[in-house]
Amino acid sequence: MLSALIWIPVLGAALIGFWPRPLNPSHSRLVALIAIALTLIWTIILGSQFNLANGEMQFFESLPWIESLGLTYQLGIDGLSLPLVALNSLLTWIALYSSEKSISRPRLYYALVLLINTGVAGAFLSQNLLLFFLFYELELIPLYLLIAIWGGQARGYAATKFLIYTAISGILILAAFLGLTWLTGSKDFNYQPLLAQALPLGQQFLLLGAILIGFGIKIPLVPFHTWLPDAHVEASTPVSVLLAGVLLKLGTYGLLRFGLGLFPEAWAAIAPFLATWAAISVLYGAFTAIAQKDMKKMVAYSSIAHMGYVLLAAAAATPLSLVASVFQMISHGLISALLFLLVGVVYQKTGSRDLDVLRGLLNPERGLPLIGSLMILGVMASAGIPGMVGFISEFLVFRGSFPVFPTQTLLCMFGTGLTAVYFLLLVNRTFFGRLSEQVLNLPPVSWFDRTPAIVLAVLIVILGLQPSWMLRWSETTTVTLMPTRFSSQDAVRFSSGDAPRTPIAQISLTANSDRFLRSASNDH
Amino acid sequence: MAQFLLQMSWWVPCYGLIGAVLTLPWSTGIIRRTGPRPAAYFNLLMTVLAFLHGTVVFRSTWNQEPQQLLFHWLKVADLDLTFALDISAVSVGAMELVTVLSLLAQIFALGYMEKDWALARFFALMGFFEGTMGGLAISNSLLLTYALLEMLTLSTYLLVGFWYAQPLVVTAARDAFLTKRVGDILLLMGVVALATMSGSLNFPDIYKWAETAHLSPTTATLLGLALIAGPTGKCAQFPLHLWLDEAMEGPNPASILRNSVVVACGAYVLIKLQPILNLSPLVLATLVVIGSVTAIGASMVAIAQIDIKRALSHSTSAYLGLVFIAVGMEWTGFALLLLFAHAIAKALLFMSVGSVISTTTNQDLTEMGGLWSRMPATTTAFVVGSAGLVGLLPLGGFWALQLGVDDFGIQQPVLAGVLLSVNALTALNLTRVFRLVFLGQPQPKTKRAPEVGWLMAVPMVSLTIITLLVPLMMQRLSLLPTWEYINRTSVVLLVSSGLIGCGTGATIYLHKAWSRSMNLPWRFVQDLLGYDFYIDRIYRLSIVFAVNLVSRFSSWLDRYVVDGIVNFVGLASIFSGETLKYSVTGQTQFYALTILVSVGCLGMLMSWPFWGFHVLDYLRVSSG
Repeated sequence: MLSALIWIPVLGAALIGFWPRPLNPSHSRLVALIAIALTLIWTIILGSQFNLANGEMQFFESLPWIESLGLTYQLGIDGLSLPLVALNSLLTWIALYSSEKSISRPRLYYALVLLINTGVAGAFLSQNLLLFFLFYELELIPLYLLIAIWGGQARGYAATKFLIYTAISGILILAAFLGLTWLTGSKDFNYQPLLAQALPLGQQFLLLGAILIGFGIKIPLVPFHTWLPDAHVEASTPVSVLLAGVLLKLGTYGLLRFGLGLFPEAWAAIAPFLATWAAISVLYGAFTAIAQKDMKKMVAYSSIAHMGYVLLAAAAATPLSLVASVFQMISHGLISALLFLLVGVVYQKTGSRDLDVLRGLLNPERGLPLIGSLMILGVMASAGIPGMVGFISEFLVFRGSFPVFPTQTLLCMFGTGLTAVYFLLLVNRTFFGRLSEQVLNLPPVSWFDRTPAIVLAVLIVILGLQPSWMLRWSETTTVTLMPTRFSSQDAVRFSSGDAPRTPIAQISLTANSDRFLRSASNDH
Repeated sequence: MAQFLLQMSWWVPCYGLIGAVLTLPWSTGIIRRTGPRPAAYFNLLMTVLAFLHGTVVFRSTWNQEPQQLLFHWLKVADLDLTFALDISAVSVGAMELVTVLSLLAQIFALGYMEKDWALARFFALMGFFEGTMGGLAISNSLLLTYALLEMLTLSTYLLVGFWYAQPLVVTAARDAFLTKRVGDILLLMGVVALATMSGSLNFPDIYKWAETAHLSPTTATLLGLALIAGPTGKCAQFPLHLWLDEAMEGPNPASILRNSVVVACGAYVLIKLQPILNLSPLVLATLVVIGSVTAIGASMVAIAQIDIKRALSHSTSAYLGLVFIAVGMEWTGFALLLLFAHAIAKALLFMSVGSVISTTTNQDLTEMGGLWSRMPATTTAFVVGSAGLVGLLPLGGFWALQLGVDDFGIQQPVLAGVLLSVNALTALNLTRVFRLVFLGQPQPKTKRAPEVGWLMAVPMVSLTIITLLVPLMMQRLSLLPTWEYINRTSVVLLVSSGLIGCGTGATIYLHKAWSRSMNLPWRFVQDLLGYDFYIDRIYRLSIVFAVNLVSRFSSWLDRYVVDGIVNFVGLASIFSGETLKYSVTGQTQFYALTILVSVGCLGMLMSWPFWGFHVLDYLRVSSG
C-alpha cells in the first residue's frame, strides 16, 4: 500500500527521464501531473482506510534489504505522517501545475520534482532510521539541482550553501542514529524496537543534541537559518512552494519522531531551553522580516518565525500542544505555499519583488486585483485572523503550551503581533496606493495561473472553519507520542510565580507530564 | 414557527455573511454585464431577512428567561471548544440595533456610493461587518467573541482601505489595523491565560469560576489589563485611540456603522468581561482613568477639528470613555443605556454629515455655510442627532446621561464632573459645527447644494424619527425613571451643563481666520488640540522607532554577523585548502619530517601518564 506512494513518482520520473525518444515538454508535464495526482488519490484512499482509533503504525510493510547493515525496507504511517504525506502530494501537484510551461530542460525538471516527492514521502513513511536517512538525503540532490539550474542570479551561491548546510544536517542525524544503535547494542536500525531503549541521560543528551542541530538546520531555527532566505530568493516559484511547504516540515517531523519519540527523558529535561529557543526564533524571524525589502525574503523570514511555533508546541509536549504542532505544520505548509505562489505571480507579471518599486497592484483594470485579494487573505491567515487555518492552529499551540511555558508562549504571541506588522507593510506597499509608472499595463493573469492559489485559499478557509477535519487524523497518534515513560509519582509542581495551582493541574496536565511541570518550574 | 425561528436565531448573523459571499461574482469581476447593483440588492435582501428574523426572535425572547444555544465546534485532546450563544432580550435587542442601523446605512450607501465602481466589494464588506457585529451581540463565548473581534478588525481594515489608491487611506487602514491588533494580541494573551485558569471559555463558566477564584493581585491585574486592552483598541480609548480619527478617510456609510455600533461592540465585550475585571480593583481603576482621560481629552480635541467627520469621531471616543468609566464603576445599566442612545444619535449625525459631504464634495468646515435653507432634511437630521446625543432636551442622550449623573453624583462628584463637562464640551462642539455648516453665509462650495436624493434621504429621515422615538422605546423597556424618582439636582446640573455648552458654542467667534489664529499662545493651544496632543508623533518617536530600530538591527545581525560567520567559515576552508597546496613540494625530506613530528606528537600524547605531569589528574581532582 505505502510503497505505491514512493514508487509511483519514481516510475513517473523514470518514464520522463529515460523515454528513448524526444519528448514533447507538455507530455512530460502531463506524465508528472498524472503521477502526482495518482499519489494524491492514493493518499486519499489510504486516509479512507486509516483507522482513526489506532495510534500505532498502520499499513506496515517490511522487507529485508541489507541485513548486514541493519537496513530494512520498513514503511508505516500514523497520524503524524499521514497529514504530512497528503500535504506533500498536494503541494507537489500545485508546484508542478504552476511551473512554467516553457521551462528549459523540461525532462530533467519534471523528473527532479518527482524525485523530491519520492524523497519526502519516503522520509515521512520510513520506519527504519537508516532508510529515513537515505530518503532524507535523496531529497537533497534534486533540490540542489533545481535551485542551481533553474534559479535566479546568485543561484550557485545559494544552492551550494543549501547543499552544505543540509549535508551537515544529514551527517549529524546519521551520527545520532549510528550512536543510538551502537549505544543500545541494537542489531538493526528499525524504529519500533529502539523506542524501548533506556540509555543513561548523559548519552541521551549527546544524541538528542546532534538530532536537534541536525533537524534545527532543516526547520530552520535561528542561528542555523541563513541558507533559507538565500535559497528562497534564488529558487523559482514552484521550488519555493515545495521548500517552504513540505521540505521544512521534514525538520519538525524529525524532531517529533526522533527527538521527542526516541529521547523523551532528555527532551523533557531540555524542554525549557527548547521553548526559549523557539521564542527567540519566532521573534528574530519576525523582526528581521520587518526590515526586508524583497517580498520573497520577507515571506522566507516569516517561515522561520512560524516554524518556531511548532518547536514551542513540541517542547511543551502536552496532548493538546502535540496535536497543535502537527496542525501548525499543515497550516504553515498551506499558507506559506499560497504566499510564495502569489509572490511568484507578482514577480512573473511585474518583473520585480522590491517593496520600494511595486505599488498599487490592486488596481482593478491594469493591476492584479484577484491576486491582491488572495494575498490579503494569505497574509491575514498568516497573521492569525480567525476564520482561517492560521488562527486555530496558533491558538491551539498557545493554549497547549501556555500551562507549561507561560513566558515563552507570551513572547511567541508577541511574534504573532509582529507578523501583522510586516505583512501589512507588504500588502500596503505593493497592493495599495497608486499603480506605479514603471509597471503599467500588466499582462492579465489567466485563470490557469489563479487556480492553484484559489485551491489553497479555499483549503485555508475550510480548515479554518472546520479544523476538526484535519485534527482528527493526528489526535490519537500524538497522544501515544506523548512521553509515556515519565515517572508518574512525582507530585505536580507548577510554580509559575503566582498562578493558581489546582485549575491548571485539572485541565490539561495528566500525571504523565509531571516531569514537564518540574522542568517548567525550573524555568521561572 | 416562532420556536423554530428562536432555535435558529444563530442564523441572523449568518445572513450578512451569506450576503457577503453572494456578492463574490460581482466583486471579483466574473459578472460584469449587470453592473455591481445586483450584489447590493442581495445584501439588502439578506439584511431585511436578518431584520425580520431578528424581530420574531426579539418578540419571543421578550420577558422570557435567557436561552443558551451550544455548538460543539472542536473537541481535541483535552480541549473542548464550544460556541455558546446567549439568546436574551438584551443580546437580541443589540443584534436588532446592529441590523437596523446596517440596513439604513446600506440603503444610504446605495445613494452615497452610486458612482463608485467597487460597489459590490463595498456591500460585501458591509455584509461581513454586519454579520460579525450581530454575532458579537449574541456570542456568549469568549473565544467566539475574540474571533469576531478580530474579524471586525479585518473588516475595518478593508473598509477604511476601501479607496486604497489614496495615500492617506493607506496609512489610515494600516494604523487602524495595527492599533486594534495591539489590543487584540493583548486580549488573546488574556484569553489564553483565562482559558488555562478557568478551563472553559464560555462566559457562564468563567463567571462561575471568577466567583471562587483566588488569584494573586499581580495575576489578576495582569489578566484584567490584558482583557481590557482589546476593548480599548476597539473603542478608540486613550493609548489606542488614534485610528478612529484617521479612519474617517474611509467611505462615509461605513463610518456610520463604525462610529455607532462598531465601537459599541468593543464596549459591549467590556461589559461582558466585567465580572472577571472585578477580580482586580486596580483594573477597574485603570478603566476609570482611561475613560476619564479619553472623555475629556477627546472632547477638547474635537472642538479644534476643522474636518467635519473628525470633529464628530473624536466625540465618539469621548462618549465611549464615559462607558469605560461606567464599567469601571460597575454601573452596567448606565453603560448599556448610553451605548444605545449614542449609537442611534451618532449614526444619524453621520448620515447628515454624509449627505453634506456628498452634496458639497467637501469635508472642510471652514469652506461651508448656509446650508440650512438648501438642505432642510439634512439640517433637521443634524439638529435631532445632536439633541439625541447631548443631555439637554429629553431625548436618548439626556436620559442616559441623567442616569449617569444620578449614579455618580453622590459618591463620585469628580466623575459626575467629567460627565457634565463632556456633555458641555460636546454641546459646544456640535453647536459650533452646526453654525459653521448650516448657518452663516453660503460659500462657493455650498452655494449650489440641493437636498440629497431619496436613497439617502429616506434612511436619514427614518433614523431622525427613530431618534425622536428613543425615549418612547426606553419607556417601553421600562428604562426610564418614573416622575417621582427623578433626581432634580442631577437634571438641573445636566441641563445647565448642556445649556452652557450650547450657549458658548452659539456665541464664540467663528470665522475662517479663526481656524488659524495669529495669537501665538492661542495658536499653540489650537495646534495642540488640532493635532491630537501630538500623540501620533510621540508614537512615531517611541514605539514605531523602537520596532524599526530592532528590526534593522536584527536584519543587520543576520546579514553581517550570522551569515558573515557562515561565509567566513566557507571562505576560510577554501583559503586553507588553497594554502595547503603550496606545501606540496615533492621533497621526500619534507614529508619525512612531517611524519616524524606527527608521530612524535602522537607518541607523546599516548604516553602522557608516564611523563609525570599529572595535570589531568590534577584537573579532575580540582573539579571533582
